[in-house]
Amino acid sequence: MKDFLQILLVGIGDGAVYAMLGLGLVVIYRSTGLLNFAQGEMAMFSTFIVWTMWSLGLPMWLAILGGMAGGFCVGALVHQVAVRPVGDPHEKPLAVVIVTIGLFLGVNGAAQLIWGTLDRSMPPLFGRGQVTVFGVAVAWQKIGAVIVLGVMVLLFYLLFQHTKLGLAMRAVASNSESASLVGIPVPRLLMLGWGLAAAVGTVAGVFIAPNLGLGTNLMQLTLIFGFAAITLGGFDSLVGAVVGGFVVGALSSVMPRYITIFEKMPLAPAFILILAVLLFRPEGLFGKKQVTRV
Amino acid sequence: MSNTVTAGASVHRSPGDWALKVAPWVVLFVILAIVPFQFPSFRVEQFCFWMTLAIAACGLNLLTGYNGQISVGHGALFGIGAYTTGILITEFGVPLFGATVASAVVCFAAGILIGLPALRIKGLYLALVTLAVATLFPLLLEQFSAITGGSGGLQITSPQLYRGEMRERPIRLESPVAGLENDQWKYFVFLGITVVIFILSRNLIKSRVGRSLVAVRDNEVAAESSGIPVSQVKIVTFGLSAAIAGIGGSLFALDQGQLYPSSFTIVLSIYILVAVVVGGAASIIGPAIGAVFYGLFSDVIVQQMPDRIQPARAVILGVLLILLMLLAPGGIVGGFRTLQAKWSARRSSTHSSGLAVTGPSVTGPPAAGPEVTA
Amino acid sequence: MSSAGDGVSSAGDGVSSAGHLLEVKTLGAGYGIVEVLFGVDLVVDQGEVVVVLGANGAGKTTTLRAISGMIAATGQVTFLGESVLGRRPDQLVKRGMAHVPQGRGTVTSLTVEENLRIGAFVRSDEQIESDIEQWFEAFPRLGERRDQLAGSMSGGEQQMLAIARALMSRPKLLLLDEPSLGLAPLVTHEVFDRLREISTSTGTAVLLVEQNANLALDFAARAYVLEAGRIVLSGNAADLQGDAAIQKAYLGV
Ligand SMILES: Nc1ncnc2c1ncn2[C@@H]1O[C@H](COP(=O)(O)OP(=O)(O)O)[C@@H](O)[C@H]1O
Ligand SMILES: [Mg+2]
Repeated sequence: MKDFLQILLVGIGDGAVYAMLGLGLVVIYRSTGLLNFAQGEMAMFSTFIVWTMWSLGLPMWLAILGGMAGGFCVGALVHQVAVRPVGDPHEKPLAVVIVTIGLFLGVNGAAQLIWGTLDRSMPPLFGRGQVTVFGVAVAWQKIGAVIVLGVMVLLFYLLFQHTKLGLAMRAVASNSESASLVGIPVPRLLMLGWGLAAAVGTVAGVFIAPNLGLGTNLMQLTLIFGFAAITLGGFDSLVGAVVGGFVVGALSSVMPRYITIFEKMPLAPAFILILAVLLFRPEGLFGKKQVTRV
Repeated sequence: MSNTVTAGASVHRSPGDWALKVAPWVVLFVILAIVPFQFPSFRVEQFCFWMTLAIAACGLNLLTGYNGQISVGHGALFGIGAYTTGILITEFGVPLFGATVASAVVCFAAGILIGLPALRIKGLYLALVTLAVATLFPLLLEQFSAITGGSGGLQITSPQLYRGEMRERPIRLESPVAGLENDQWKYFVFLGITVVIFILSRNLIKSRVGRSLVAVRDNEVAAESSGIPVSQVKIVTFGLSAAIAGIGGSLFALDQGQLYPSSFTIVLSIYILVAVVVGGAASIIGPAIGAVFYGLFSDVIVQQMPDRIQPARAVILGVLLILLMLLAPGGIVGGFRTLQAKWSARRSSTHSSGLAVTGPSVTGPPAAGPEVTA
Repeated sequence: MSSAGDGVSSAGDGVSSAGHLLEVKTLGAGYGIVEVLFGVDLVVDQGEVVVVLGANGAGKTTTLRAISGMIAATGQVTFLGESVLGRRPDQLVKRGMAHVPQGRGTVTSLTVEENLRIGAFVRSDEQIESDIEQWFEAFPRLGERRDQLAGSMSGGEQQMLAIARALMSRPKLLLLDEPSLGLAPLVTHEVFDRLREISTSTGTAVLLVEQNANLALDFAARAYVLEAGRIVLSGNAADLQGDAAIQKAYLGV
């Protein structure tokens, strides 16, 4: 039982990170209606920016802010030059998928060019200490991830529900034509959405990198977990991303422990989850029913 | 070349036009026939790999280009074909090309399995599921290392007569024709299979079935109401597409003689997709052109670059993909067709310069994004 | 470009261009290679209510979409003395042009109140809240549903909400696309009654496009008749209404 609890808590800690990545995906989905297959690579890229600043001697928190700012710019730029000109993702899913895959290749290659293929090590933001909860040791790093996630969700909630800007972003996501007819500069808001999503991805990267080692394929598996999280939670729901993240984290940590076939494939439960949810409840737990429209 | 353009655009069919239409194909086949004798062996080996890629891209094109179902997971189907071939030959002593046929069948079934959820999942979401399949596949190979050899790889062997006794030896495609090297022989075998597959898919697309594929892509509801069994069409297309990709994978296995999970990552899936969109989705020959493009790019151009900037290859491909979607969403073939149409429009307008009415005029600046002709 | 050339309008009435709120000249537009408008000319003055009548498919919606910048167009569109062709819709809202698209165009996943609030996106004055409350007083049915999703309301309520939302930007010109579409006759009458009240009390100019000729001619001061992408007739609403031949030929009454 204690063993189970230990694994579960580890999973929930991981889940917080999946949820962060999921938040970025949800922000983009909510503001543009598309799934960004390059989200993970963009997060990897901005995590490298954090690492660079940190290894140049900046304090970690400043480096993270710098990385978020860098990520924001990359995201906004990517939207302006690559995503926006392609057009409506609902009308041309293939073109948009190809563009985000092009981004995937491009950003990954750029990171390899700049930082090489060796893994870098990054210190855990909350140190290597542990605390004992219910007789189970939990790393501060995991607790920190949950807290940071909580703060991020709160900020996004405030943005979307209590500011004019957030209201405008929601209007754009729901009906961009109507939004532009009330005077909302739609392209600029979409750019902002991409920037925000990339900034959030930075935080996810900063939490994952100490675990996996910071390399250019840092995010490729993590992205699938992030997708699983938002598929379960609903593509357009912030709360869904969080709940989904925790569930996916817990499943991917617990299942391989008890079911041998998943031992080398912690990704498999996430995959099965994606498939099952899309088949039986495509809008997810908290999403609005509109997925089927695509 | 410009003569063939007019022939293609012309409505009239005279024997001369017909000859102009056939001529490029004759030239192409002559070139294809000479190629293995003009290049060193390692190049001919590379050409064989390009053909396996072209076959897989042809399969993906049926699905994505003509039927509108997006798959980012065809690398996994290619891998299933490769490993099925490897295992059948090594474990069960199936003859080499017998294994290819069996791989096609296995992949057909796998495609149907993946296609089942595709009945309910579309567009971006289907891309998501297939992406997950592609990411999962190499992990599956490592999980079932008992039959796949895991990350240590699968050496494909068959019983062969060696120094007077039958032994398990690495497979080889030996040339039965005097004067043809082994790699040249392999080249022609692969070429034959590739050509047959492309011709068969062309015939499929031109048939009634092919038109129903396109009808389903363009408007499912309309297709349904005009009596097309949409679900069946989608599922069978998935199966066929997978089977073709599987044949590509099977040839890849015969070509390489050994298989590693690292060859079948998401990156492979992306490259197959690259071949389709660069060449031109929803054109028959497009995937072949795209595969050659990819081959030239990664086996020739990239090799010229200094080692330090090798990753630039991914950057270049990525940027290229994006530019392509923005500027020429129809790929090389689509771009060529557009030029051809413009050219013939200009010709006809100069011919009829006395008349006020010309081709359709475009109102205002073009809309923000070009359309995907896929 | 060529579409502008052959657009010979029968509505050229030689009005001087000075002083018009909106002036549209040789407007051409279409979808891809399909041309829909072949040189539309019309004007709307300050505070004036003008209707463009036309059968289904005549190009009414396309005309409004071209004016408000939703689709690319050729010709001239002058609004408040400034050429606005090629501007995005959101830029025109800032200048005082609000467009209620065909089929309501409420943001269905926002609440009724949020729809009104978003309507005031271009404003930053202090009166936004009181304007919202005024709309709720004017339309108690919207007030009762202020926290419901706009998508959950009836067609008539959504149409009123869409109009109210557009007016939240305090426009000088309201473009209205077939408000009667899909509404029961009784509801349509009510919507038009409210529109009349609003336009007289706020002095907002209205450019309405409609199929429903009788209703629209009652409401408007002047009218244009659009047929296959061309203005074929224009005049005072009362004259058009009185002329049986015209009614028969163009308005299908
Ligand atoms: N999005 C579109 N794409 C292509 N053609 C369109 C589109 N919208 C309208 N049309 C065509 O343009 C013409 C005019 O349409 P519209 O302006 O909507 O007419 P109305 O509003 O008067 O009914 C019609 O023939 C219609 O088929
Ligand atoms: Mg209309």
